[in-house]
Amino acid sequence: MGNEYLKNKIIMLVDDEQDLLDMVVSILEEDGFHNIYTAKSVEQAIVLAESCHPNFAILDIMLPDGNGFDLMKKLKGNNDYPILFLTARGEDDDRFKGFGLGADDYVVKPFSPKELLFRIMAILRRSYKEENQLVQLRDSQIDFDRAEIIKNNERIPLTAKEHDILSVLYRNAGRIVTMDVLCEAAWGDNPFSYENSLMAHIRRIREKIELNPSCPISLVTVKRLGYKLIVERT
Amino acid sequence: MKSIPKLIRRFVGIMMTSIILLIVINIIFYISIFWKYTTHDSAWDIADKAAKSIHLTDNGYALSDEIVGELKKRNVWGILIDDNTHEVIWHTEKLPNNIPKQYTLWDISDLSRGYVEGYPTFTGKTENGLLVLGYPKDSYWKLIHASWNYDFIANLPKYVFFALCVNIFLMFIIYVITNSRLLRSIKPITNGIKDLSSGEPVHIEEKGVLSELATNINKTSKILQDKTEKLNKKETARANWIAGVSHDIRTPLSMIMGYASQLETAQGITEEERKKASIIVKQSDRIKSLINNLNLASKLEYNMQPLMMKQENIVAIIRQVVVDFINMEIDEKFSFKWDTDENLFVCDIILDKDLLKRAVINLIQNSINHNDNGCTIYVSVYEDNNDFIICVEDSGIGVSEEQIVKLNKTPHYMVCDNNTTEQRHGLGLLIVKQVISNHNGKVLIDHSKYGGFKTLLIIPKSTCINSK
Repeated sequence: MGNEYLKNKIIMLVDDEQDLLDMVVSILEEDGFHNIYTAKSVEQAIVLAESCHPNFAILDIMLPDGNGFDLMKKLKGNNDYPILFLTARGEDDDRFKGFGLGADDYVVKPFSPKELLFRIMAILRRSYKEENQLVQLRDSQIDFDRAEIIKNNERIPLTAKEHDILSVLYRNAGRIVTMDVLCEAAWGDNPFSYENSLMAHIRRIREKIELNPSCPISLVTVKRLGYKLIVERT
Repeated sequence: MKSIPKLIRRFVGIMMTSIILLIVINIIFYISIFWKYTTHDSAWDIADKAAKSIHLTDNGYALSDEIVGELKKRNVWGILIDDNTHEVIWHTEKLPNNIPKQYTLWDISDLSRGYVEGYPTFTGKTENGLLVLGYPKDSYWKLIHASWNYDFIANLPKYVFFALCVNIFLMFIIYVITNSRLLRSIKPITNGIKDLSSGEPVHIEEKGVLSELATNINKTSKILQDKTEKLNKKETARANWIAGVSHDIRTPLSMIMGYASQLETAQGITEEERKKASIIVKQSDRIKSLINNLNLASKLEYNMQPLMMKQENIVAIIRQVVVDFINMEIDEKFSFKWDTDENLFVCDIILDKDLLKRAVINLIQNSINHNDNGCTIYVSVYEDNNDFIICVEDSGIGVSEEQIVKLNKTPHYMVCDNNTTEQRHGLGLLIVKQVISNHNGKVLIDHSKYGGFKTLLIIPKSTCINSK
């Protein structure tokens, strides 16, 4: 998906259990990450962060010398990088506390490697956009930075709403995104139904990205549920 | 308290009836007494009869035998006073010695109104004189100066009626004052009992006529509070215990899941080994959902799950659940069909989004778990009068009629207080039932028209917040 640059990011893992650290490292390495550092306590994590300058941190909430929330505050005080909590505590208050303080996501143990990797990639993609990176579709390319579509060597501008809708679809590339989520992305949390407007926008996006908009290949409809953006692997 | 005015009305009704009844009974009583003493031959009648029967014989005056007998029976004496001489010209055989033989006009006027020497006397007119009958001293009581103002007699019915009204009014006032005082002292007690029934702590001031009652209610409240507190502590402990155990399982299970998944996709292993790894993955997934369910079910059961009730679009929520399942790409054997009417796009309702999602996820997961050979899962949301209905059904193997009845009626072993080890439905369905009951809704299990299992979640549109 053209996300190879994300695999170079420096990841810091903090968990008090060595076995778990080993496993997560092996999952990440298998997926192509190679700058991974681990720490087993708050103290170690702070020291480590100063030397390795992580781009992303995965923290356990319960650590031998403190908790993950406090650690996150300390880490965020110096540099701003995304943080994901990985914890055995499934309680809702933890979840809200985590998000409230600025955590980017929250994965409850036990987790499947697939789920963990998906969340990590989603956060990284959101946080680190490659300069002038183009998203390759079957018939065109999306240039999110300039809000343009490149089709047949021609640059077609995107409107703000089209850009919003495409961004959400791209973040969930290969997965169905419900109409409700797309409406919310474009128009906010509004009680009015924008279903018809959404359909109109989708049609216009297709005219820009597809060679044959009435028979879409990259932006497909999943009947009555939502839409899916299919991105070509580079 | 709605019942207090009703109580007053009833009391007043009873009082009024009893007053009227009392008056009627009194009147009947007086009339009957009057009757008893006045229906027999009155003294005046006898005097009249005697006067008529007196006649002159050869031996002087004489009464008829009948009258003589009557007089003797009553121990009555009689004299005849001559009109002209005012002397006694005849008398009965037995005559007290102190009865005078000569009378003045005053004497006569006096005796006709009253007594002669203490004997009550009654008179009758004869041809030649006045017949006087003297009754025994204790037989009659005579009103000597009986005379009333005419107006008084004429207005008597009015006065009686007025007096009656005043009496009833006064009684009513007295009654209301005493009763309102009683009710005022009852009010904190009725309020206290009301609070008791809703489980709130109660303290009533212990004073007044009903202080003993207040003391007892205060005691009861304390006992109830203690019991509830103990029970809550027990339940909290149990839920914490379950949460603790499931917490401790999470980390090791993560490792099993992680490595098994890696093995599943690893290179250089045989197909047989890969199959084994995928079984481990699948089974750990089952343990994962089991501990998640166990934790949530125990929290819901012991009211430890805070409800986040918010206005949400139920169609969007359920649509997201279905899409999440499709995005998971579980297995080609399972396909999903979103059956909701296209026109039903926004259905706002107050609910706990995460819990409702969980309920629907559990239903879909059940369809997947119970149909190893695959099936199509149909999910729809529709409106029905005052309810929103979420329908999850499948084209799978389904269950027997008997099991449907059991699933609808029998409680899960976790919430069952009988000592049973019989295998019941899984935790997933228990959570569905708990969540829907938190939304004041109903769960209906039935056969699907597609051949498999069907569950209807019926949630009233006006879900009131049922949080603790």
